[in-house]
Parts: sequence; structure tokens; C-alpha cells
Amino acid sequence: MIKLVHAGKKFDDLVLLKDFNISFEKNKITCLFGPSGVGKTTIANIVAGIVPLDEGLVEGVDNSLFSYVFQEPRLLKWYSVYENMDFVLKDVYKDEKRVKIIDTYLEMVELSQYKNYKIDALSGGMAQRVSLARAFAYPSHILIMDEPFKGFDFKLKNEMISLFKRMWKTSQRTVIFITHDVEEAIDLSHMIYTLKNRPVEIIDIIIVNNNREEIKNKLLSL
Amino acid sequence: MMNSIMRNKGKFFVILFWILAWEIGSLIIDQEIYLPSPHAAFSALINLLTSEETYITIFYSTYRTLAGFFLSCLSGIMLGIVCGIRKPLYDLFNPLIIIMRTVPVMSIIIIAIMWFKDNNVPIFVAFLMCFPIIWTNTVTGIRSTDVKLLEMCQVYKIKKLRVIKSVYLYSSLPYIQAGMISALGIGWKVTSAAEVLSLPKYSIGRFLYDSKVYLEIPDLFAWTIIIISLSFLFEGLLKFIFRSGDQHD
Repeated sequence: MIKLVHAGKKFDDLVLLKDFNISFEKNKITCLFGPSGVGKTTIANIVAGIVPLDEGLVEGVDNSLFSYVFQEPRLLKWYSVYENMDFVLKDVYKDEKRVKIIDTYLEMVELSQYKNYKIDALSGGMAQRVSLARAFAYPSHILIMDEPFKGFDFKLKNEMISLFKRMWKTSQRTVIFITHDVEEAIDLSHMIYTLKNRPVEIIDIIIVNNNREEIKNKLLSL
Repeated sequence: MMNSIMRNKGKFFVILFWILAWEIGSLIIDQEIYLPSPHAAFSALINLLTSEETYITIFYSTYRTLAGFFLSCLSGIMLGIVCGIRKPLYDLFNPLIIIMRTVPVMSIIIIAIMWFKDNNVPIFVAFLMCFPIIWTNTVTGIRSTDVKLLEMCQVYKIKKLRVIKSVYLYSSLPYIQAGMISALGIGWKVTSAAEVLSLPKYSIGRFLYDSKVYLEIPDLFAWTIIIISLSFLFEGLLKFIFRSGDQHD
């Protein structure tokens, strides 16, 4: 279990977190659902250690490795697809193993034949698939997904969601999934935290089951 | 193809126009000592190009310019990278660079003459003049690095040296290249200036100085044409190297 305990965080005069508690179950997909600017990304960044806490502590992340799928692909555009994967794995795997792992994950996202392409030559969807492959190929314990499908059309989004599900099944890890898209939240998550207000509060905790309509109504009523 | 021929044709006529203007100017003034005719300048040039000494001179002046230029690139890029990343280091070095940028070339040349052998004065001066340009451009380039990419590197725990090589350096490459091109042009100018005052044995500057002393003004023009041509040649070479580097990546 990963926990934020009595967490406090201020940006100048803006109090984002005050005595905030939340927990994420290991090897499950937990969704942070709420309006823009509520502090979802900040919570994830605190867990990942990018943003330091002012008060309180983060439990259960000692010696953890993180990977991240951002809203933008955040790839090095001067490198090829393969080199981008290689860049994050270089300090983790020896040469031969690295080649194998990169090939496996590029295969999974169906980009094997593009591995020598420069990032500029890829479409937005393809670039985000590289970013997804990078995140899964990296031996992280915790994967953070910060609105990774934002701006994609319906079809592309559904493709990405089923791709993500397949990858997660073969390579399970704790996932913190940030979104304000109702369908995405229900499709992907095991559990949904709905967040609101400032400082941020947990309004509801929803365990995702087969009762989609009910959950949907709950999320939409927020 | 057709377009580039047309453009070259246009360029040719532009050059022809200015040479004609020069010719007319020299005809009006009618005193070789103030403005020699293009004909006099070019025959002086051809005369120079038949002498072996000219090539030795060109070789040494080129060596000095390039030595100063490379020294400034090496140190300017390295120091620029660390200053671009670490703000306190930037604050430490910035006043020094501002002074280097504003001190008159002549003061530096005269001080350098006191410090160094005549052969090395132009190298030192070229270095000192080019260094601030390269440094400033490198710092600007490093600072233009996308914070989002750096955040990504932080998440994936990429080692600092690899972040510098793969992220910072590539991000600032266009700035560094632009800095190198302008530094090289300035390098040629200040090297000749320093040579005129320090008078190393084989140097274009010494010939510039001699042509003033002996009032051989067509020679002055001929050497100037040589410096301009060298400057263009090496700028073209540098741009070619950058372009082929871009394609290889």
C-alpha cells in the first residue's frame, strides 16, 4: 500500500493539500478523478518524488522505481523511437537484454517497423504509444498516467485504452491514473477517488464493478 | 534547378553592380592612394597569388584564427553548459563575460602584446573575443531546454551526465551553432587586427601594415579580399559540417 499521510502542500499562498490522506493499493489501477486544477497531478508528483511535501509523509515508496506517461509524449525528438527507449533503459539493463526488452515492448505497441523513425515523423497517437512502451519497458513499481489520452478522438482513445489494458495484464504494477474523462475512468480503473475543492478533499471512493451506469451517474453528478 | 540558376544569376548581377560602382567611384576620385580601381586591386591579388610566401602567410593566419576559435568553442561550450545549468555559477561568471564583451579590442591586443610572444597574441585575442559569444549562446541554449523533458529524465532517474549529453546539448545545439558561425566571422577580423599590431613574421596583418607603410593601397585591398574570401570559405565549411551532422542524426 502506498500512502500519503497528513500531507500538506502550498504553492506560494495557494494551499493545495492540507492534512490530506490517500492510499493506493499495490498492483491495482487507481484513478484520481476531478476537475482541472484540483491538484491531481500534484498528488501524483508527490508520490513520484518530483514535488516535495511541506508537511506529512509518503509511505510505501522506498526504493520504488517510477515510470510516467505524461499528457504529451515527452520524447527526445532528435532521437529515433528505438533510441528513446534505449535512453531510459541504459542504466537499468545490460546491452543484450536491453535490445530484447525494447523489441518486445515496441512489438506490443505495434511500432516495430518504426523503430528507426525519428519522433517528428510519427503521428501524435504513435508518439504516445512509444511513451506507453517506454513506461512499461522500464522496470517501475509505480506507473503514473497523467491524462495520457487527452485530445485523442474516440476511436484512438479506445485503441489506446485496450492497448494499455493488454500491457498492464502482462506487466502488472501499481498505476495512478489521472483523468477527468468519465468513460476512461470507468474503463480502466479498479478504484476511483473523486476529488474536489481547495484544499483538495476526497468526495467519494468508488470501487468499479459491473454497474457502469450507476458509477457514470455518480461521476457526472460531481 | 531553374530557380537556383536564376538566383545565382541574380547574385552575379548584384556583385557586378557593386564592382561597377567601385570602378566608377575610383574613376571619380582618380587617386589610387585613396581608392584603387577594382582592376588595380585584382591585379595586385593575382600578383600575390603567384607568390609562395602568400600561401605560407595565409596558412599561419588561418592557423591563428582557427586556434583562437577552437579554444573559445571548447571552453565557451563547456563553461556555458555548467553556467546554464547552475545559476550561482552563471552569476559568478556573468560579470566577467560582460567585461570581456565590452573591453575595446585594442586594449586587449596591447595588453596581450605585453604578455605573449607575437605569434600567440592574435590567438589569445581571437579567443577572448569569440569566447563571450559562444558562452552566451550556449547559456541561452541550455536555458531553452524543455523543462518537461528534464522532468521526464528525473522520473526515469537518468544520470546527470547522460541528461547533459542527450537533452541539454541537443536542445542548445542550434544556439551553439549560430554562436559558432558569428564567432568565426569575428575571429577573422580580430586576428588580422591583432596581427597588425603584434606583427608576427608570417601574417596577413603584417602585410596589411606594410601596405600602409609603403602606400601600396592595391595590396591592402588585395589582402582584404583574401581575408573576406577566407572568412566566407570557412563559414561555408562550418555550415556544411553542421548540415551533414543534422542529416546523420
